[in-house]
Amino acid sequence: MISLRGVSLVYPNGVRALDGIDLEIRKGDFVFLVGHSGTGKSSLLRLLYREMLPTGGEITVDGIRVDRLRRARVPMLRRHLGVVFQDYKLLTDKTVWENVAFALQVTGAHTKDVMRQVPRCLDLVGLSHKSRMYPGELSGGEQQRTAIARALVNNPKLLLCDEPTGNLDPANTTEIMELLGRINLKGTTVVVATHNQAVVDRMRRRVVRLEDGRIVTDEERGYYFLGLGQDQLLSG
Amino acid sequence: MKSEGTISLDWGKINFFLGEVLRNFTRNAGMQATAIGTVAVTIVLLGAFLYARASLAHVAGEVMSQITISVYTQPDATAAQEDALRTAFAKDDRIVSSEFVPKKQGLRELRERMKGQIDTSILTENPLPDKFRIKVRDPEQVPAVAARIRKLPGVQNVDYGRDVVQRLLQLGAVARRAGIGLIVLFVLVAGIIISNTIRLTVFARRREISIMQLVGATNMYIRMPFICEGLIDGALGAALALGLLALARMTLLPKLSLALPWLQLNAARVDVGALVLELVGAGAAVGVVASWIAVGRYLRT
Repeated sequence: MISLRGVSLVYPNGVRALDGIDLEIRKGDFVFLVGHSGTGKSSLLRLLYREMLPTGGEITVDGIRVDRLRRARVPMLRRHLGVVFQDYKLLTDKTVWENVAFALQVTGAHTKDVMRQVPRCLDLVGLSHKSRMYPGELSGGEQQRTAIARALVNNPKLLLCDEPTGNLDPANTTEIMELLGRINLKGTTVVVATHNQAVVDRMRRRVVRLEDGRIVTDEERGYYFLGLGQDQLLSG
Repeated sequence: MKSEGTISLDWGKINFFLGEVLRNFTRNAGMQATAIGTVAVTIVLLGAFLYARASLAHVAGEVMSQITISVYTQPDATAAQEDALRTAFAKDDRIVSSEFVPKKQGLRELRERMKGQIDTSILTENPLPDKFRIKVRDPEQVPAVAARIRKLPGVQNVDYGRDVVQRLLQLGAVARRAGIGLIVLFVLVAGIIISNTIRLTVFARRREISIMQLVGATNMYIRMPFICEGLIDGALGAALALGLLALARMTLLPKLSLALPWLQLNAARVDVGALVLELVGAGAAVGVVASWIAVGRYLRT
């Protein structure tokens, strides 16, 4: 699903955000990207949906060479993946329903597809009963679920989440992570960048750890801290 | 994006799109009003200028069409020479008509004109030569025709109010050039105003634009509502300007023609339908181009 070979990213100000990243993510995987702030997690995600171009290396997402993708083709890539952010990025003057529908409407989808997909996604995230509400009337968790519904409305094979629980309390965090888990069970590849230790340790999924723009460890069923569960860390 | 190969109207799609345009337009209502108003004022000024120019051109045309070349023959010119001149005038297809004025008739005309100003009875003999009065098809060719005639044998002098003709020709050329310059200037001004308005809307909607880009809307799709907004600004501005111009024509023109009776203001006839189409079309076109540039700048970054 995702393949990075020797990917590096240097910002115009000279900061080396990523340095020789090699990473393979298979279809249907659930992967955590962990590391301190500024270690390149978000930069890595941005490369995947081509918000940025790498300075060097090859990036393939769902068979598309993202690093060579022509600008005019970028929308086609974006339609095949969903992106979720810490700050939800919802439109405050549109209802939940309209926010989710927006993603389809602006890609020129037929009304009958909108009428079919929006209820399906709202149902999936459990917000069917709040579809007429505005984001300002929702809790943080509900807003993030709206954002996830919007990310899924195109039926993407890949869901990229950049600190999806960064603004949420533990209860809402759990709710969101369970939702992401369910989405993954339906076959969608999920990549989550986070520095929420509790989330990573509870889920026990593949953990890719970044430090100073390099991958330092990559564990199949990992913890937030290298080789250690929370219990061991606390007791040791 | 499945397409069934058939084009069917999707009212949901159209509604959504029109809703977006309307929201764009109403979000910044004050700014839109300013843009439309400024475009209207710009076009009114342009319209007033074009009208004045058309009136001037008409007056100049009237004056020019009355211009005749007076060809004075030499006092000792023979009848054969005068016949030769007559055939030369007939052969030159720039000349519409030539009229022979014998010196007796010339004196009579002079007496008629100078009645009460100069006592022409003191003249003991006729000082005038015979002359031809020549009308030229195109006023602009008067100088050239006059120069050619001057060289013909038997011609003593040629007079056509040289200064007046040259002034009028110059005036016409200047007015044309100034007109083109002003049109370019006004188009630029209108374009910049609309472009700035659109940039404000783009700025107000930058969040929506970033989300559109994120979910895979094409740049073309993102552009469309803004293009429509520019189109509406330009077209409404032009329509408003036309209304104002029509109002001015109805109310001001009668007073103006009373004040300046020698200026034949009403003479400049306009094809109203064509003018409406041209101005509104031009306004819309300027709006489209201006907003295209405004959004393009944003999308490229």
